[in-house]
Amino acid sequence: MEKAKVSKIRDERGFYTLSLILLGILAVFCVVPFILMISVSFSSETALAHGYKFFPEEFSLSAYSYLWLKRATIFRAYGLTILVTVVGTAVNLLITSLFAYPLSRKDFKYRNVFAFILFFTCLFNGGMTASYIVWTRLFFVKDTIWAYLLPGALMGAMNVLMVRNYYNANIPYAIIEAARIDGANDVRIYTSIMLPLSKPVMTTIGLFAALGYWNNWTNGLYYITDSKLFTIQVYLKKLMDSIQFLKTSDLANESAMLAAQSLPTESARMAIAIIALLPILFVYPVIQGELIKGMVVGGVKG
Amino acid sequence: MSQKQAPAVSEYNDLLARQKKARKAEERRRNLPLYLFMLPGLLYLIANNYIPMFGILIAFKKVNFATGIFQSPWCGFSNFEYLFVTKDAWIMIRNTLAYNVCWIILDMIIAVFIAVLMAEIASGRAAKVIQPVICFPSMVSAVLLSFIVYAFLSTSYGYLNTTIFRDNPINWYATAKYWPIILTIVHFWQNAGQSSIIYMASIGGIDKSLYESARLDGASKWKQIVHITLPMLRPMIILMLLMSIGRIFNSDFGLFYQVPLNSGLLTSTTQTIDTYVYRALLQLNNVSMSSAASVFQAVIGFVLVMASNMLVRVIEPDNALF
Repeated sequence: MEKAKVSKIRDERGFYTLSLILLGILAVFCVVPFILMISVSFSSETALAHGYKFFPEEFSLSAYSYLWLKRATIFRAYGLTILVTVVGTAVNLLITSLFAYPLSRKDFKYRNVFAFILFFTCLFNGGMTASYIVWTRLFFVKDTIWAYLLPGALMGAMNVLMVRNYYNANIPYAIIEAARIDGANDVRIYTSIMLPLSKPVMTTIGLFAALGYWNNWTNGLYYITDSKLFTIQVYLKKLMDSIQFLKTSDLANESAMLAAQSLPTESARMAIAIIALLPILFVYPVIQGELIKGMVVGGVKG
Repeated sequence: MSQKQAPAVSEYNDLLARQKKARKAEERRRNLPLYLFMLPGLLYLIANNYIPMFGILIAFKKVNFATGIFQSPWCGFSNFEYLFVTKDAWIMIRNTLAYNVCWIILDMIIAVFIAVLMAEIASGRAAKVIQPVICFPSMVSAVLLSFIVYAFLSTSYGYLNTTIFRDNPINWYATAKYWPIILTIVHFWQNAGQSSIIYMASIGGIDKSLYESARLDGASKWKQIVHITLPMLRPMIILMLLMSIGRIFNSDFGLFYQVPLNSGLLTSTTQTIDTYVYRALLQLNNVSMSSAASVFQAVIGFVLVMASNMLVRVIEPDNALF
């Protein structure tokens, strides 16, 4: 009897340790590539000629002093990214919740019609080519800041339905009716009841929207050619393009030589990439709980 | 008698009609703010979703931007015919489907495996660090991902070519045959943690008393997993598999376009429908081919979403989308 108990405890202990080791290895694999990036950004160019290493062979801040020299371009791209993220997220939350409120009102006769108009967009779309032609030839967003804010990014049908479900499940209709009897109009009900009581769902949607705007580079790829309008992601993408272009072109060619000299060095490139990653790196520990909760909800529906 | 009554009846009917009208007007007035609330969202849906749906017609036209899209002549299915006789069509459909089928199955196995391990250590302190860490790669944009991959694969300085392949360096960005493996590794590096979250939540919802009684009966950990955890996860696994069928013609554009650095030498293993649509539209300026491919994708996607939802409704009605 005693023996069986001991072996069972040993079995469970062993399993716990095994899980911990395997997951620990996985976690290390998730972190290691970032360490390589950071190490490269702090390496001197001469050391990098021997290859990228996980620890700088020769520590150097030259990459970051290069960034400081280029600060006008980089700050501009950075500022634009922040602007797009803040404005996009705010407008997204506003129109998402404004749309969700009427859909949640049980006395609103056409709520199902509008819910269907909304939901149908999840099932069917005109495809990327049609989207591109509409946004460029009808709404002329090409090379404007609107190109980052509007196409595909502003309001997702699934988010609206998520907010509506939250309203339905967590805000009793009796509260709204009571407010109405007390003389509150819809604007008042929206601002003083719906918004304050739906903070959790708004936080989740807001975080994902902000992350989406910060990381968005495809809108820049499709719609932006003006280098004044590069966000940090688009700037990084163009940087990578020019490196690839030089690789394939003849370096004896004079213009290619000049272009090569004006390009940031290997370490500087990684430094810029790290700068783009930095905000996520700092904010992530605080918001990861919310994000993970959101992934559970978002994973099942859509 | 009846002559006297007639005006009264009609008056009464009038009154009713007027009342009904007034009620309707009152309802309209009362609902006006609700319509105004929805206005910005509706305008956005029209611009972003509904007008492009009519853009499907572009695929049936011989587009000439000089004369305008509306004036361009119709050409029936000839754009599709041109597209499907090219080798590109076969390659992109094969790649999209092959990657998706392999990854859907592997995704499921890896995600469940991680979730089972995580559930084991969930009570410990380490879980609070490990879970966020393994989910972190999914926070990174495809552009940053391409920098990370480049740090490993760059021909002259990359980590792999200066360590493991030092003696015979490989030109990774010019050799198509390695990319199915590279993309698979990158895909799982980025998504494994995130996709395990959903199964972790399901394991958290399993009744603890099941495990208690299994332990009293002397079931080992392994037996508990095989006979309790996995069977309890089955509905969720089936649901996730069915839902991924609806997206089987879609691909992660960033992963297939930016991570291989848009290298033309790699298209035989990295071209998917999404990358083709982009390349045909903006690099080859071939609107007909691009729209044919994108409409093909949208229509098949619609059919598959409907089909997978129908299956979900049969198996797990609570989780059906509609």
